[in-house]
Amino acid sequence: MKSPGDADYASGKLIYCGAEADILHGEWQGLDVVYKVRKALEYRLAILDEAIRHQRTLREAEMIHQAKKAEVDTPSLYHVDPTSATLVMEFVKGDRLRDFIGRISSEELAEVFFMFGRDVAKLHTSGIMHGDLTTANVMRRGGGLVFIDFGLSLRSERLEDHAVDIRLIKETVVGAHSGVASAALEGFYKGYSSVVGAARFRQVLKQLHNIERRGRYARVA
Amino acid sequence: MKGFILGIESTAHTFSASVVSARGEILSNSKSVYKPPEGSGIHPFEASQSHLASAARVLAEAMCVSGVSQNEISAVAYAMGPGLGPCLRVGAVAARTLALSLGVPLVPVNHAVGHIELGCLLTGAQDPVVLLVSGGHTMIIAFSGGKWRILGESLDLTLGQLLDQFGRHHGLGSPCGAAIEEASSKSLNYLRLPYSVKGNDVSFSGLLTASKALLDGGESFSDVSYSIQETAFAMVTEVTERCLAFTSKNEVLIVGGVAANRRLGLMMTAMAKRHSSKVHLAPVEYSGDCGAQIAWTGLLAHEQGIEIPVDDSKVRQSWRLDTVEIPWRR
Repeated sequence: MKSPGDADYASGKLIYCGAEADILHGEWQGLDVVYKVRKALEYRLAILDEAIRHQRTLREAEMIHQAKKAEVDTPSLYHVDPTSATLVMEFVKGDRLRDFIGRISSEELAEVFFMFGRDVAKLHTSGIMHGDLTTANVMRRGGGLVFIDFGLSLRSERLEDHAVDIRLIKETVVGAHSGVASAALEGFYKGYSSVVGAARFRQVLKQLHNIERRGRYARVA
Repeated sequence: MKGFILGIESTAHTFSASVVSARGEILSNSKSVYKPPEGSGIHPFEASQSHLASAARVLAEAMCVSGVSQNEISAVAYAMGPGLGPCLRVGAVAARTLALSLGVPLVPVNHAVGHIELGCLLTGAQDPVVLLVSGGHTMIIAFSGGKWRILGESLDLTLGQLLDQFGRHHGLGSPCGAAIEEASSKSLNYLRLPYSVKGNDVSFSGLLTASKALLDGGESFSDVSYSIQETAFAMVTEVTERCLAFTSKNEVLIVGGVAANRRLGLMMTAMAKRHSSKVHLAPVEYSGDCGAQIAWTGLLAHEQGIEIPVDDSKVRQSWRLDTVEIPWRR
């Protein structure tokens, strides 16, 4: 049995090369796990790179637990190794929303995005901004959704931060899934509003609109 | 023989004209660049006066160098926006006048689309994630569903504005990118600066304030230049990497004035290697604002029947890239 601190990720099989981390599928203390390894990025100065990788690894570990308290499903965290910027987590058997969005019916799409909005609202009402809500960071498990990639998350009650979270979803859905964007967002907003209530939802949408107006060359009516 | 397009660019500091052939040969690319006084940015009216003064010469040179006669021009393309109103209007007036006098159609071109399409032509990029970095834009873009879509962008200043405002604080005149790159090459002393990535977006305003404060506190221009470059470029490289991983594409194209910076190109190349992707860098002459981006994109648009009657040919200071239909791509 490996000792704590001995995150032996060399044995894992690379299953995904993400933007800032490699995801390896392997075994840890007899468990079926993924190793999320924030490897040194060659393009960034080492002093800057180490600080960022260290901070995001610890942040992610902390926020995975915070999300669970908010009753939002996340992978179970088994081990944290700050030195190698590695997290050892439960292997989630499921597809990323990005990958299955194109092959579900419109009813299913509405349902999935309703849950997406509902769960994001649960995070927000618990004071958590996810910070990286693209469709690649939401997976399907059983009848619900699992949220991953909390490296950019923040503790925040601010309207602005919550609106920035939703802005990224909108940017991703419109940018990468334009064919289903309006139906997806409609479902998302319904789910979000069902948790935060109509008044807060209106405030968040208004702030989202303000942020969009700040965009370069934007003409938002 | 018809089939040549004259393109006119005048969105900001550059007045430029270019002739391209239907096969994508750039036959000329003449320009005149307005240079503001030291310590200042572009004053839109002053820039437009500079454009007015140089327009006739630049247009004559573009025609002369191309070896194309006036009656071989099939259409006149102009940058309708986005950009500075007074500057845009100079290019628009020149384009309308030429279109009417030559009796050929007028083709409106979005300046940002121009950067991307010219970059694709010159580098052979097929379906890239695009990093557009200039004084007017900082965006990560990919083609999807008939439009160039914005996947990430700066939430406040553009990368060009960050560098220019920092340079001007030191007393330089815009554009300051080259001077900052030169100064940064003399330092290896990294001073800690705020690094702000929000999902696929970046924010530079805190970085600008902190960098100015370091200068004011007596740190050397080279050390702060080095630190601002390392921080800001790492931020845009990171968000480009996020978009590359997200879209699973395997090409990156860098266009816009800041694409001329060698350090940015090196960072992007190192990043792309991890994703087995190829980096395309537009040649420096064509990465910044130029007539060729308008002429080439005008040609693509005109082939699809896109024209604008002279009466409707207003300029659009705000004209966001992701609102433009791109019928010449699948």
